Amino acid sequence: MATNVRQGAGLGAARRRREALIGLAFASPFLIGIVVFTAGPIIASAYYSLTNFNIFQSPVWVGLGNYRHLFHDDLFYKALWNTGVLMVIGVPVQLALALIVALGLSFQVRGQPLYRALVYLPSVVPMVTATYLWRWLLNSQYGTVNRILGALHLPQPDWMGDPLWTKPAVMLIVFWGIGTTAVIYLAALKQVPRDLYEAAEVDGAGIWWQFRRVTWPMISPVTLFQLIVGLIAALQVFAQPYLLAQQRLNATSGGPDNSLLTYSMYLFQNAFIYLKMGYASAMAWVLFLITLVLTAIVLRSSRRWVHYEE
Amino acid sequence: MSTATVRQAEPAVSSGQFRRRPVPTSRRLRQLGRHVVLVAICAAFFLPFTIMLLTSFKMPTDIFHVPPRLLPVHWVLSNYRQAFSSMPFGRYLGNSVLLVVLNVGGTLVSCPLVAYALAKLKWPGRGVVFTVVLSAMMLPPQVTMVPVYLIWSKLGLVNTFWPLFAPSFFGTPFFIFLLRQFFRNVPDDILEAARIDGAGEFRTYWQIVLPLAKPALATAAVFQFVWTWTDFVNPLIYIHDNSKFTLSIGLYNFFSEHGVEWGPLMAACGMFTLPAILIFVFAQRYFISGISTTGLK
Amino acid sequence: MMLHGTAGRRDRRGGWRAIAAGAAGLTLAATMAACGGGSSGRTTVNFTYLWTGPEGKAMAAIIKDFNASQNKITVKGVSNPDQQSQLAAMASTSSSFDISDTFGNIVGAWASKGVLEPLNDDMSKDSYKTSDFAKAAMDQTVQGGKTYALPIAVHTVQLLYNKTLFKQAGIAGPPATTSEWAADIAKLTKTQGGKISQLGFANPDFTTMGWEFGGQWFDAKHQPTPDTPGNVQAANFYVDNVVKKYGAKAVQKFTSGFGEYASPENPFYQGKLAMTTDGEWQSAFTKQYAPKLDWGVAPLPYPDGHPELKDTTQVSSSVLFIPRSSQHKAEAWTFMKYLLAKKSMLSFTHTLANLPARTSLLGDQIYSDLPQFGTWQEALKSKNTHSFDSTSSSQQYTTDLTTASDQITLGKKSAQQALSAVAKQAKKYGN
Repeated sequence: MATNVRQGAGLGAARRRREALIGLAFASPFLIGIVVFTAGPIIASAYYSLTNFNIFQSPVWVGLGNYRHLFHDDLFYKALWNTGVLMVIGVPVQLALALIVALGLSFQVRGQPLYRALVYLPSVVPMVTATYLWRWLLNSQYGTVNRILGALHLPQPDWMGDPLWTKPAVMLIVFWGIGTTAVIYLAALKQVPRDLYEAAEVDGAGIWWQFRRVTWPMISPVTLFQLIVGLIAALQVFAQPYLLAQQRLNATSGGPDNSLLTYSMYLFQNAFIYLKMGYASAMAWVLFLITLVLTAIVLRSSRRWVHYEE
Repeated sequence: MSTATVRQAEPAVSSGQFRRRPVPTSRRLRQLGRHVVLVAICAAFFLPFTIMLLTSFKMPTDIFHVPPRLLPVHWVLSNYRQAFSSMPFGRYLGNSVLLVVLNVGGTLVSCPLVAYALAKLKWPGRGVVFTVVLSAMMLPPQVTMVPVYLIWSKLGLVNTFWPLFAPSFFGTPFFIFLLRQFFRNVPDDILEAARIDGAGEFRTYWQIVLPLAKPALATAAVFQFVWTWTDFVNPLIYIHDNSKFTLSIGLYNFFSEHGVEWGPLMAACGMFTLPAILIFVFAQRYFISGISTTGLK
Repeated sequence: MMLHGTAGRRDRRGGWRAIAAGAAGLTLAATMAACGGGSSGRTTVNFTYLWTGPEGKAMAAIIKDFNASQNKITVKGVSNPDQQSQLAAMASTSSSFDISDTFGNIVGAWASKGVLEPLNDDMSKDSYKTSDFAKAAMDQTVQGGKTYALPIAVHTVQLLYNKTLFKQAGIAGPPATTSEWAADIAKLTKTQGGKISQLGFANPDFTTMGWEFGGQWFDAKHQPTPDTPGNVQAANFYVDNVVKKYGAKAVQKFTSGFGEYASPENPFYQGKLAMTTDGEWQSAFTKQYAPKLDWGVAPLPYPDGHPELKDTTQVSSSVLFIPRSSQHKAEAWTFMKYLLAKKSMLSFTHTLANLPARTSLLGDQIYSDLPQFGTWQEALKSKNTHSFDSTSSSQQYTTDLTTASDQITLGKKSAQQALSAVAKQAKKYGN
């Protein structure tokens, strides 16, 4: 008996060790990857952010110089502002539109998969194609959008030329690709138990009340998820404004009056056009900080509005 | 079946039925209303494609005509001819497809392994690594962009495909997280049973866990596909040779060189979009079901 | 829209260069990717160039001639018009090339960052003379006493005017002074109920105009001076005579309808714009896009009472350089000399309708088939030629000036405000 116990313990230890090794082996691709492609670069980037560095010459230590510089750089603030506008207006509207579309798609009708596919289709279109397509649709004179607006006797904005309208143009392109967000919402809507609606109906709740009392709370965890994903994406938005601002090759542009210069674009310009890698690294760290703070705020606030099932 | 019966019956009977059971009509009306709403929504999403297609067949005189002409007066193929002759479309397509295959392959090899280790194996540091996975999801790629570029540059692999696919073989935090959530729901009994049967850890993983995870793997594959296919920044930073351009960068250069010649540009856009649409049509089920599961955990 | 400074000026030709996109370049790129090195004892020199389309073809022809002319070096040419990728390629020896081209105003930044190889050793070894090259262009390529690049083509800016519209408005000839210019703009602008249907002048090139009004963009120490009085006056000239006079909104509405620069829809070819400032490549452009256009070229008008500012022009340049990361610098230098020799330069600049960088080639017979080309050639001889300083931060300065130019033409900021803001920003360019 005694030997048996000891054997068992020995076996357990051996098995634990074996399992630990196997676990590490299974996780090894990620462990190697995170060291090589993330941890190492994070340290390097922190170091570069404290130097003047241009790839071609070795870094020169400047301490906090880049950060100090950043807070006196008008374009940094301009880029922050542009990104902020796209985020604060764009993300909520994006979620609202996606939810409306998802509600439409949740109708039990024949051909629903086709409708769903059509809504999702723009999401597989490469961003470059989507942006050029919208550049054409938003052409101030010959674009379809302005021609429709003209037919309705509405004002026809100069989407690419008027600093006031360039950001709405970016948002339109982003909204066109809300298929993914809508499909995630659709799945969430389908998970809402039917009996909750029936109970609400028995209580005499109208459609709006059903939405307020049943749908919205039930999908709120998904809203939280999409809100965070949306915020992070908005903070990093690059391709659409970059391609909208593009005039011709080799002409660095932030759009009219820099109204399209987003944070990521300015970072990219500093890193790969002006070769200010140190400055760009400092910008990246500030972006990381902003991301963390915003996510923390959203997560904190979520306690008040996100409803979790017991 | 019932409609068939109705149709066969004579009109009087039919109207009699109509009077007796008014519910179907109101339901049909409601259905109609729903279709109208859905058609309107879909039209909004589909209109840009229509304009792209129509413009690509128009001559400049039609494109710039006032008042606007929806349909081309003369359907021309010259825009396509110009777009095709201006760039090696087949090569760009081949490059994009190759990268998609490599990236999806990398993701499917590495991510489930890691996710399984995090969900089902007990090893020291597991909790820490999971926290690392979560925080890595939050990390803006800009933070590591410059040093990672330097690594590839030092390795002499800038302007090759390596920087564009190799990272996926080391696992992407987002997919690892996704798959870990899935694996956690696999009952331990199944694994125990396999172990008792003498299956090694890898065999258990390979023969039992992976097949169970097919839907989750499809999700990861679908996301990786879309990311690689639509990626613009990475090829922009890493690829400099025309011969190695992906579709995204190929189109970017086409626009840069040709400026706003809308006809050829829309033809090129159409050609670039078509493969994505084709793949989507064939793999639609995986796209939608994959995405649907994403937000639910 | 607003192209400011030399980089923008040269870039406009992107569309022109790529009319049939460098199919030849692409095939070459493919061969280069496959190539492992010279086989027959010849050294392979990789030459990446920004020129595409017809210009790329002209370059490809010269390369072919060079390869046939000797048996030591094989030049492989690749057309790659993207400057950012060109820069990135040089960061690593394995992806780099041996010789390439850029714009004069970029040289300063790249030289200061260690991207470019100084040519002095090669030049002194061969006792290579640069006295024949246009001085304004050489100013951009010599940094701290070292020559980092040599010009192959140069460009000057002149006033283009539509003779038909001038006749209709009863104006005899191009304006000589700025007050005449202002009067002509007024006569050549047509409005109907606040809507503009024809504009006397638009798309101002504030860089060149700054010099025209006696301003300076850099001080003697090469520090940016964006808000010198002349620069502000130049911008105000446009504000007073166009933006304020016809309304920023109306002007913007009208200019937003301007067609593509390198196409028959160019507003100057269309007669929507009576005057514009532009470079010598318009000799070729008008021939191709607007063969029926009756147009003339004149020097920029000078401010009243300041005849000493007559014939002001901006000189910009296209230059050849060898990157530090090149593996075959000596061979690249041999090839560079070939490209800069009179014969190659003449045929290349003629195809592009660019001014030759060698002053001895000015006025050559070969250019006689290019309409109005002479005026631009003359401009190069003016005593009031200026080039934008090529410093480590010139690119950023150019970008910021473009923004200021936007703000001024959109009526968002006064000229003084916008240019002072650039001055403030410029203090922080650093390295």
